[in-house]
Amino acid sequence: MSELNGRVGGDPLISLVTSVPKVWDPEEDDVLVCRQVRVETHDVKTFLFSAREPRLFRFKPGQFLTLDLEINGATIQRCYTISSSPARPHLVSITVKRVPGGPVSNWLHDTMAPGKEIRAVGPLGEFTAFDHPAPKYLFLSGGSGITPLMSMARAFHDLSEPRDIVFVHAARTPADIIFRTELDLMARNMPGFKVVHVVEGEGGEPGWAGLRGRLSKEMLAVVAPDFAERTVFTCGPSPFMAAVRAILGASGYEMARYHEESFNFEELSPADVADIAEAQVAAGETPAADAAPAVPTFRVEFRKSGKVIECAADRFVLDAARLAGMRLPSSCTKGLCGTCKSKLLEGKVDMQHQGGIRQREIDAGMALLCCAKPLTDLVVDR
Amino acid sequence: MLHVPHTPIGALLARRRPGYGLEQPFYTSQEIFDLDVEAIFGRYWIFVGVEADVPEPGDCMVVDVGTTSVLIVRDDDGNVGALHNVCRHRGARIVHEYKGTVGNLVCRYHQWTYGLDGKLLFAEHMAPDFDTTCHGLKRVHLKSLEGLLFICLSENPPGDFDVMAAAMLPYLVPHDLRNTKVAYEEDLIEEGNWKITMENNRECYHCSVNHPELTVPLFAYGFGFSPEKLDEAGREQAHRYECLLDDSHTAWEAEGFPSRTLEHLDDMDTGYRTQRLPLDGDGEAHTLDTKRACKKLLGNITNPKLGALHFWTQPNSWHHFMADHAVTFSVLPLTPDRTLLRTKWLVHKDAVEGVDYDVENLKAVWSATNRQDGELVGFQQSGVKSPAYEPGPYSPYTEGLVDAFANWYVSRLAAQIDG
Repeated sequence: MSELNGRVGGDPLISLVTSVPKVWDPEEDDVLVCRQVRVETHDVKTFLFSAREPRLFRFKPGQFLTLDLEINGATIQRCYTISSSPARPHLVSITVKRVPGGPVSNWLHDTMAPGKEIRAVGPLGEFTAFDHPAPKYLFLSGGSGITPLMSMARAFHDLSEPRDIVFVHAARTPADIIFRTELDLMARNMPGFKVVHVVEGEGGEPGWAGLRGRLSKEMLAVVAPDFAERTVFTCGPSPFMAAVRAILGASGYEMARYHEESFNFEELSPADVADIAEAQVAAGETPAADAAPAVPTFRVEFRKSGKVIECAADRFVLDAARLAGMRLPSSCTKGLCGTCKSKLLEGKVDMQHQGGIRQREIDAGMALLCCAKPLTDLVVDR
Repeated sequence: MLHVPHTPIGALLARRRPGYGLEQPFYTSQEIFDLDVEAIFGRYWIFVGVEADVPEPGDCMVVDVGTTSVLIVRDDDGNVGALHNVCRHRGARIVHEYKGTVGNLVCRYHQWTYGLDGKLLFAEHMAPDFDTTCHGLKRVHLKSLEGLLFICLSENPPGDFDVMAAAMLPYLVPHDLRNTKVAYEEDLIEEGNWKITMENNRECYHCSVNHPELTVPLFAYGFGFSPEKLDEAGREQAHRYECLLDDSHTAWEAEGFPSRTLEHLDDMDTGYRTQRLPLDGDGEAHTLDTKRACKKLLGNITNPKLGALHFWTQPNSWHHFMADHAVTFSVLPLTPDRTLLRTKWLVHKDAVEGVDYDVENLKAVWSATNRQDGELVGFQQSGVKSPAYEPGPYSPYTEGLVDAFANWYVSRLAAQIDG
């Protein structure tokens, strides 16, 4: 006490809490400094950032930042939803789950520490309850898809905004529930806030008394019997969101009030889409055993160059080849220009092109590697 | 010192004597050739191919007219369009092979990527204020007359194309060219000026002696004759032909196949002529046995004896449409004394080679005829270079249509250089 009082001018942080810093503008300075890393679960961490100089972060809860990362000499861009509340504007946080083999999530988990800097742009995105005011919400989240919904819930909580919110979170086991105690705290503080956790298995918590299984129509009818009256926001892995759409659709829910986190894929390059795929996998839970990768990985052999690489099922072949150091001819990476057109000697791919290849060419075994994900092991004539 | 006389083109055009051939410079001068490419091939509708050249979406054909390279492309909606084959970045040619299939149109140089409608879809590394919408491929006017593709390189194409098309439509519809395929095509470079190639086509004065194959199915007298000079046998054949022509037209028109002559060879910018002509022998097709070359008839045609519908357009095409197949001819100038003659044989798209038709039989008559004509064109070209050449008179009976071609050419070129 005496030491604090004796400090001339006080803590430098005093200016941060007694003055109003400028709003962070990535056009001026896109560098964010890591201030803290919080361990949320065994494989999920939250990374808190602020600018080098005091800055306020303005965003709509649910928006994302695009991180521009230098990893092993390669520049990788990744979109991560902000998990923090805009009502606590001095910091911004992202919450990331480790993805087996995921270059970005593992790099963040293993190397990001207080004092380290990254580049980021944003915030961007339209997935926010704040643009769709409603008296009653149903938030449905799967895995680390919880982050945008957490940001929204935290904002309502911080603003003492009395909304009727049912917050359903699906996780693999109780140990995988992210923000568990904070959600409980918010429920205690806000009369209209109801938290429901659904786990697939009880894992290391044999006393689990909550819901078990996968989200179903019956389950929804129990936890939110009035769900038809609620505006729904959903974020999670694609299968989770597909299941939610199926449940709501089958119940006659008015889908105009349904919102899910979806990036506009048409404006993103396949590399971006791959990133989002990784982020979605990161957001997801899979029923697979802990050691198993989240998605299968396939062997891709390049016949002419003799190279063999691994490619995850959710990654574009070109992207995987680039990460492996190969330099294949390519340009647009959007499935438009056809520069990466290659003969598939063996195997099948899932390809979503934009006119860079003809059906006849596809029928003849050609593929655009920039927008093709492996469905099997592949042999490419390159 | 040698005196090189120079006559202005306007004066050469003005002193052209009707009923006579053109003066030497029209066949030999680089200057007039360049003017032909610009003012004739650059401003009037020219025939360049058929829809069957680009049968499916993404199919692309390159047609070079002088220094202009045009892409004929079928888009994903099935429509055929024409674009300049020049990248809007640094001007590189985009497509290099004559025919192929593309996804989008991609310049190999820096991968600028255009949709089949010419819109610029992708250009990497450009400045933030770069506007893709201002850098699409330039369009070329294209019209498909029942599957016959005409382009006009001018910004303001002659408007009377539609008048010609409306008149020709009933003649062409029964042959259903949109449902044909190119069974065979042949490029022949003739060693002569493009106008000599055209003039050669516009008469059959030379046929009986030079075209032993063509005169099997085709009556040489179909294009006129001198009544006084014919011998007894000739008169008989001519009379037989006149009767046949009249009877055939009456019968075909009753069946719904317009046959009578329409002739606007030099009174329209989009000059044309059509007539359905009887064929000799079995009367079915331009084959050596005068029988159909393809078992599967075109469109809904059931009567194989429909003769041959002739269709000529100024300045550069002629066509023969029969019950079983069609033959199209496109003439493109290469140099003052070299010309590309591009011939395509079309059959029903479902006809199977080796089953319904034999390519050798299909093309026999016109392959031979083209070679013979190419030789004759070469003879004339080498002759008109001589200082001894002076334009000779056309036959009023058999070369009236050559004269009509020359009239069209002279008056259109004069209009362009005056304008």
